[in-house]
Amino acid sequence: MTDAELSEAEKTFILHSVQDNFREDGRGNEDFRHMEVETGLISNTNGSARVRLANTDVLVGVKVQLTAVDPEKPEVGRLDFFIDCSANATPAFEGRGGEDLGSEISAMLTRAYSCPSAVDFHSLCVLPGQQCWLLYVDVLLLECGGNLFDAVSIAVKAALFNLKIPNVTMTKDEGGVELDLSDDPFDFKRLNVAGAPVVVTVNKIGHKHVVDASEKEEECTLARIILGVTEKGTITSMRKEGSGSLDSDSISEMMESARKVGMELNKILLKALEEEEKQGAKTVGFLR
Amino acid sequence: MPTDTRRLTGPESSQSPYNFAPCSKLDMRNLEVRPDGRSFKQLRPLFLRTDVVSQARGSSYIEMNDTKAICAVYGPREVLRREDFSLKGQLTCDFKFATFSCKQRRQHQQDSQEKDLSVQVLEALEPAVCLHKYPKSQINIFITVLQHDGCALSAAIMCASLALASAGIEMYDLVVASSAAICGSLTLVDPTAQEEETILKSTVKLDANAGSVTVAYLPSMSQVSALSSDGELSFEVLNKSMQECVANCQRLYPVLEQTLVKHQQELEASKS
Repeated sequence: MTDAELSEAEKTFILHSVQDNFREDGRGNEDFRHMEVETGLISNTNGSARVRLANTDVLVGVKVQLTAVDPEKPEVGRLDFFIDCSANATPAFEGRGGEDLGSEISAMLTRAYSCPSAVDFHSLCVLPGQQCWLLYVDVLLLECGGNLFDAVSIAVKAALFNLKIPNVTMTKDEGGVELDLSDDPFDFKRLNVAGAPVVVTVNKIGHKHVVDASEKEEECTLARIILGVTEKGTITSMRKEGSGSLDSDSISEMMESARKVGMELNKILLKALEEEEKQGAKTVGFLR
Repeated sequence: MPTDTRRLTGPESSQSPYNFAPCSKLDMRNLEVRPDGRSFKQLRPLFLRTDVVSQARGSSYIEMNDTKAICAVYGPREVLRREDFSLKGQLTCDFKFATFSCKQRRQHQQDSQEKDLSVQVLEALEPAVCLHKYPKSQINIFITVLQHDGCALSAAIMCASLALASAGIEMYDLVVASSAAICGSLTLVDPTAQEEETILKSTVKLDANAGSVTVAYLPSMSQVSALSSDGELSFEVLNKSMQECVANCQRLYPVLEQTLVKHQQELEASKS
């Protein structure tokens, strides 16, 4: 995934810095890098957000569509994730190069959002048993600088916060029910994202673990666990990634760190989003 | 998604008759006995055998009551593309539900869930295989679930690790996997498809804790090689059920060992 090829000496340097809880960019092991979040950038979407986490740049657009309900779950709406790993980010994504990574991220998001408390899926149903909203959550990776899973999930949550679903009025006539979509751009409803998870990746480096690993640090890790953490600290999905194995005690420690960091991250994100909302849409500039 | 035009497909929009059947979901709040009569902590009987595919380097078959899977291992063989050169061997894994294996018919092409499971099986096995012993080569694992009644992931992991071992691939340890489904204070060990679906596919919140956990474990090295959870669980519950799965893995380990010993004995007998 990365171009960064590290020598043994560089790897040892990173390993030692993690050991001392003082990473190469001066952070502690449980610190995130500087992050920028903007919402409502793309006018053709119903909700959009961009997150820049150090060098990782992610753009998310959510489009809503009316569709027939899933016969297995006739009274709820659906979410559909798609991650486009653009070759702009790294030449390795050219052609079908980014497909595996994209499907891995979308699988993780699908699982993290699959529990009923993540968003109010019932409110996404327009006509139970017939029509519901299908939210296409499309993620575009513009730049990779490590920790993609977390950045993508933050951007997705921000875009869902920004989402404006047009109101639908139903009129009953003899032929059945007729759906009318409101023309008024200010006639919409919002989605409650308080229960939505963010993904936290915890990387094992040496005997310690770090969150929000940079590209170089990712190169030094053999195993990481990826968790969806909600604001309440519950874990909505988890998986281990990488070719290494882990001790069960260290997994517990890593989970504890992820929970702590994830709860904090959720709180700060929601606060920042609400603040942006209050200030009104003033885009600080899209790509700088 | 492109479809194979040579195959006869059903009508574009069709529905499973089970969608109209009365609800087959369990009442989790008042569950006293499991539908198959097991106690909550009881595993299903495990049946394993090796050498089921004669052309493969190694193969195995697993049966946990109604969950049945078959696995074949090919290789190590040379990596053909030069850009894929690596001093460490490569492991590939292809996980597939047979089209008729589940309640709903599956497509013959790998869907996103199967791709996800392929990666998870691969990552569970990678730590156990001595890949540095196989430079410039790749080992291919193919898993087909013939019948799915819950715990497909753990069955696939065990089946594949046994197939690798029977193929004579050098490994640090066998990989044993176990799952548990959690709903509130109930922990159902080795859940069936019905139990899994009741908990994971529910659209209303059943309980503050509702989900499932799968753990793959290397027993003689006491390392966890894969870990996967779905649904919403609190940290404490997740931790506890993870430990429970590890304990169950240790209980299953002798079954895998014995199957491997039997395989070796048969091999010796056929040689002499």
